[in-house]
Amino acid sequence: MKNRILIVDDSFYMRTMLKNMLTDAGYEVVGEAANGQQALEMATATRPDLITLDVILPDNTGLDVLKGIRQEQPEVRIVMCSAVGQEVIVNEALESGAVAYIVKPFSEEKVLEIVSTALQQGSSSADAASDTDEAQ
Amino acid sequence: MKSRDQEYREMFMAEALEYYDAMGRHISELEKNPQADAALNELFRLMHNLKANARAMGFNELGEIAHGMETIFGLIRSKEKAFTGSVIPVIFGGIDTIGVIIRAIGEDAPLPEASMLLANLDRLVKGEEPILDGELAAEDSRKLELSDLVYIQIKKLDHLLNLVGELIIDRDRVFTLGQEIGNPALQAVASHLYRIADELQYSVMDARLVNVGSLFNKFPRVVRDVATAEQKEVNLTISGQDIQIDRNILQIITDALLHLVRNAIGHGIEQPAEREKVGKPPVGELAILASTERDDVLIQVRDDGQGIDVESVRRKAVERGLVSAGAAASLSPSDVRAFLFEPGFSMAKEVTDISGRGVGLDVVKLAIDSLGGQLRVDSELGKGTTFTLVLPTSIAVKGALLFELEGRSYALLLMHIDSVVSLWPQQLHVVGGMLLAEVQGENVPVVSLRQLLHSGDEPLPPADRSELHGRQDIIIANYNNRRLGLIVDRFVRQQNIVIKPMSQPLDTIDLFGGVTLLGSGQVCLVLDVPAITRVFLAKRP
Repeated sequence: MKNRILIVDDSFYMRTMLKNMLTDAGYEVVGEAANGQQALEMATATRPDLITLDVILPDNTGLDVLKGIRQEQPEVRIVMCSAVGQEVIVNEALESGAVAYIVKPFSEEKVLEIVSTALQQGSSSADAASDTDEAQ
Repeated sequence: MKSRDQEYREMFMAEALEYYDAMGRHISELEKNPQADAALNELFRLMHNLKANARAMGFNELGEIAHGMETIFGLIRSKEKAFTGSVIPVIFGGIDTIGVIIRAIGEDAPLPEASMLLANLDRLVKGEEPILDGELAAEDSRKLELSDLVYIQIKKLDHLLNLVGELIIDRDRVFTLGQEIGNPALQAVASHLYRIADELQYSVMDARLVNVGSLFNKFPRVVRDVATAEQKEVNLTISGQDIQIDRNILQIITDALLHLVRNAIGHGIEQPAEREKVGKPPVGELAILASTERDDVLIQVRDDGQGIDVESVRRKAVERGLVSAGAAASLSPSDVRAFLFEPGFSMAKEVTDISGRGVGLDVVKLAIDSLGGQLRVDSELGKGTTFTLVLPTSIAVKGALLFELEGRSYALLLMHIDSVVSLWPQQLHVVGGMLLAEVQGENVPVVSLRQLLHSGDEPLPPADRSELHGRQDIIIANYNNRRLGLIVDRFVRQQNIVIKPMSQPLDTIDLFGGVTLLGSGQVCLVLDVPAITRVFLAKRP
């Protein structure tokens, strides 16, 4: 089955570019959220395997969203997306459970490499904790 | 077809202009109240996004400026710097320059030089005083900027579309007159008018298109709420959000889609325990998908629930007197499933909060019919159900097949046509007084459209193959999973038509969905396939 990905970014342009890259590579983009509230709702409704999460969002900081989603779905792999200059937040995100980060502007190869690594990491370490949830 | 780069560029521009507008608003707010946290946060976020997007597009200098501005707003936010003194002109100058650069990008003009501004931003970040002798130049270049985007009321677009419809009809008339009269000057003007009107029509249609995502994105919340209320676990997949469709069509199908999604969760997907008992994962899968097929937009609602029990629908149809027990027994599963769309036909065993309040799928069906679209249902017992909405992209122009009957022109919408065939009388069989033709491995009832239109209230006479001479042109129409062959005199051509509603009192003749005017000035009736199918079912021998 295709890996399912949720994209969270407040820029339509960024979301579209990410979606095209991921869809072209054979992933299934299950939704796009433009703010923190939407991100939380869509994460619950779509139960993705991986979320790309922008660090700066209009209503919430990306960090709050990260923590909110992790609390509800500890098994989901979260990759932070950030432009340079937000290293402090990125570091905190990694400490709070994000598995990787991508720095904007990103190349297609870089995005795909990070996403595929994150999904593999996730399936070996998080499965034991989550297989009662949805693995079968 | 636009290239992806072109699309990215348009998206970038639209968003950059929006950001630039918002920057202007927030900076004025900040000027009035230097402690306005919300405005500061927004300015910070807008600069951050502009930076990332500009760099992705390769506009590095714009990215640098946005980066410098973001850093300064960050410093102001963390109280390491105040929005006072020499900071103010640099920031205002920065926003102006951002506007100038964005505009230059939009016009494909050379981008202005901004090293002075970048140096000043750098100085501010390092805590040095900026050098402000460039300020006057910035002052001179400042213009009042209006956004490149306008919001427009849909009713204004509706009016525009109606006018275009009228224009297209007159255009076709003028074009044909030009050919009849044979005046070269008139013909030249007419063909120019033809092209212009075509372009105008497509521009207006294009202006009305929206992404289906604007509706789809509301569903995660709906699904979560309904699933919670029904105590079910549902995994939603949405795809095809960027498929475009006329805004009014999307509006009309909103309730239909909501109904189908509620149904899928309420009646389709089982409780987790029940699913596990039959060897399914406890979390049900629900998908809302959009795709395009030829000129149509397909929207599907697919679940992996219990599916539709054809036998129980068959029983219920007989109980409700929709069909005799004998006739019901011989109906194919797809014919039986079509009963689900009959008014008030609900399969809900218990009336729950969410679904099955007596409002059945007929409401969905009516909405789709009103658009000239189709609703299909496929289902496998125990495996799941898929509802497919086949919708036109635009409400203005529809593809149609023109044909002749007794010397008059008629049209049928392509959306309701499966295929056209020409068959010899010996390829048709008479069964139970009805003509049958084998089309793609399925027996399809065939009827002479002439007889159907002329039979008044009488039932159709039993079919007689000897009345048919030579090859018969037959349109295989499809409505509600039911196929029906209509014998016509001659196929004419395929053409895009603008349908006008019929004026009273003709609008009571429900066999016709409207009229269109052909280039010859001839009125052409547009046959309504749903009505024709109903009449056939009522009158068949």
